[in-house]
Amino acid sequence: MANEDNQSSHDQLSSHFFEDFLDSIIVDVASECHRIARLGLDRNLEEEEEEIRLSAQARVRVADPSNSSEANGKYIVDIFGQTHPPVASEIFDCMNCGRSIMAGRFAPHLEKCMGKGRKARQKVTRSSTAAQSRHSRNSPASAYSSYSNSTPSTSRLSNGTSSLAGEEYSNGIYEDH
Amino acid sequence: MSSTAKINHHRINGQILPQPCTHLAEFRSTNESRPFRAFQDCLRVKPPGGRAAIRREPNEVPHCGACGDAARARLYACVSCASVSCYAPSGPLHAVLHAESMPPGHEIAVDVDRAELFCCACRDQVYDRDFDAAVVLAQTAASTLGLSSSSSTSATEVASVIRFQHPANLRKRRRVDYRPWEPDLRERTLVENGSSPLERPDKAPEFPRGLRGLNNLGNTCFMNSVLQALLHTPPLRNYFLSDRHNRYFCQDRSNVSAAASASASAGVNASRRKVAVTTTNTDSNGKSRNCLACDLDDMFSAVFSEDRMPYSPAKFLFSWWQHAANLASYEQQDAHEFFISMLDGIHEKVDKDRRKPHSQGNGDCCIAHRVFSGILRSDVMCMVCGFTSTTYDPCVDISLDLEPNQGGSGKMSSTKAGHPCNGEAGYTNSRQHTGTSTLMGCLDRFTRPERLGSDQKFFCQQCQIRQESLKQMSIRKLPLVSCFHIKRFEHSSIRKTSRKVDRYLQFPISLDMAPYLSSSILRSRYGNRVFPFDEDEPDASNDLSSEFELFAVVTHSGKLDAGHYVTYLRLCNQWYKCDDAWITRVNENIVRAAQGYMLFYVQKMLYYKASEKQVAR
Repeated sequence: MANEDNQSSHDQLSSHFFEDFLDSIIVDVASECHRIARLGLDRNLEEEEEEIRLSAQARVRVADPSNSSEANGKYIVDIFGQTHPPVASEIFDCMNCGRSIMAGRFAPHLEKCMGKGRKARQKVTRSSTAAQSRHSRNSPASAYSSYSNSTPSTSRLSNGTSSLAGEEYSNGIYEDH
Repeated sequence: MSSTAKINHHRINGQILPQPCTHLAEFRSTNESRPFRAFQDCLRVKPPGGRAAIRREPNEVPHCGACGDAARARLYACVSCASVSCYAPSGPLHAVLHAESMPPGHEIAVDVDRAELFCCACRDQVYDRDFDAAVVLAQTAASTLGLSSSSSTSATEVASVIRFQHPANLRKRRRVDYRPWEPDLRERTLVENGSSPLERPDKAPEFPRGLRGLNNLGNTCFMNSVLQALLHTPPLRNYFLSDRHNRYFCQDRSNVSAAASASASAGVNASRRKVAVTTTNTDSNGKSRNCLACDLDDMFSAVFSEDRMPYSPAKFLFSWWQHAANLASYEQQDAHEFFISMLDGIHEKVDKDRRKPHSQGNGDCCIAHRVFSGILRSDVMCMVCGFTSTTYDPCVDISLDLEPNQGGSGKMSSTKAGHPCNGEAGYTNSRQHTGTSTLMGCLDRFTRPERLGSDQKFFCQQCQIRQESLKQMSIRKLPLVSCFHIKRFEHSSIRKTSRKVDRYLQFPISLDMAPYLSSSILRSRYGNRVFPFDEDEPDASNDLSSEFELFAVVTHSGKLDAGHYVTYLRLCNQWYKCDDAWITRVNENIVRAAQGYMLFYVQKMLYYKASEKQVAR
């Protein structure tokens, strides 16, 4: 019997303490919010919530297949009424070597033309004068960063399927940036 | 709550100060700030960085003089006679009894646990500038070396010490009013003679200027997407279209200086690097020296011309690869990395010639930093003694981690259920997680106090040993254009794999950065007291300078190494999708629902700063 009495008085005491704590915390919050409101320091929550609501609504509407979705694919007509081939067909002269290059193939051309990039460098290192030519002015790419693990603290997204993706260096000698 | 009771307020140093009630006003006029000074000695702040309380002795347990209760949620000490009374809405209101039973002048009391003034007659919390100053003085005493919390130190001395921690290179230039410019007759003639109209004055352009596709040169959509955003970054666009970087003048000047350096080194065993430079300058094609800003200027001219056929940024790619040799390859590229590299390229090329100050913080060095550079403030507080060390760093963008995976998968819960207030005394953050990640949620996390692990102990100047610390970031100076980079890359060191995080991030079209400013963060750290903090401007238009508008969104779709970048641009309140060469019009919903990777916001209101140079007439 004594134990049960102790138990219930313990329960009463602990619930009493809990209520006091709770009251105190509630007053903490009320006092702080009162100050923020009176001093004009509160955030414009209505605007923030409106933005969230509009975005949620937008997602629903976009997900709905019956809605006309944005034009996709490369055979669409742009707002000027033009169509364009999937690979850019404009022709111009390479500013490094002077040859006529098609726009859509300019980057891979320039890479070899300037002696940069992995494929170009692999050719250089395989040659008999590998050590000498690497430090010559003709291959100015003195530093190259390997993508997957050299900068763990940064966030990198790449684009485009490339035939070079997944290839490893055969010699593996390069200066890390 | 936000719009109520804004009447009866007047601003002091950018903060609203409510009109005092009659009792407080009466008390102040009779006693001035003498009683508040007396309380200063009783202000106890613990733990370091925590809330201030009123205690006559450090270990005093206050209790109500009338009923002896020490456990009440609210105990108030009368500022006139220092007697302590309780106030419990459900129980006795001894504090009110005290005010009523004593002669007039005992209505104002102070909450002993929270250091808040209370009017027992009005039964409401009241605010006073001098009282707050005294509290802040006690709270910040721990954070600064050599600052005593004795009552002899005045509020102004505290203010000067707190202000001492601002970057020396951030000069405040006073703002001038906008005055519209109208050309006089002579200027008008000059303009008409020296230019030709772009189109017939009566025919309005059907499409916004500068809207033009960019050809993909082979996996270069990472570059095209960022270029589209930059071509329509208002201050940057204005700079180049105003001919502020004239590529003809720039090439002339660089040729002159290159020729000079070539002749100087001709007779000496030239270093390899110098040989390379002169080769580029004087090669058979007559190519001029590499300048990314010149190529960008060229691009602006081309894109803002009437030609709507897609433009090939080939020369720009060539120049950029010369600048960023380590990124020059036809394969995996990251748009954000390109953005940083490009800004660096413009900075470097412009800077070399003109010997401008290198300090990036106030953007005096080049247009890239003038537009994008802001200043971040980092506070590290020793958790043992409270000493705070502050550093400032310039930044051209803010990289944000996506919030960790929430419980609900995309289910929206209303933020009304959460705490309506953002500030708290001390270091805790009360922002609630909703089901969806939001940009503001990421910014909240970016600026929240972070406990540095026991393996990252910081050297405390006061304790003179390494201690566990609390770190908090805030924005000291907002740039003209804020670029937010969402870190959608996850690298697992255990599995040695990388993956892309496709999770949707909500972002607003209108964004108020005020909660993330150093002034706001500091203010809330010290309990939102009425006190001039750091960079509070004396004019009420301080609010406007933290409002931003979204104008460009760079999105990435697809997998980590096989994806595609697209930019959405906002021109004349209409959204356009820029997918390499294809420009189409899209509904705002498409943009809101898109997966943002880089978000570009521009300040809603641009101010004119008084020029430091004499205006030539």
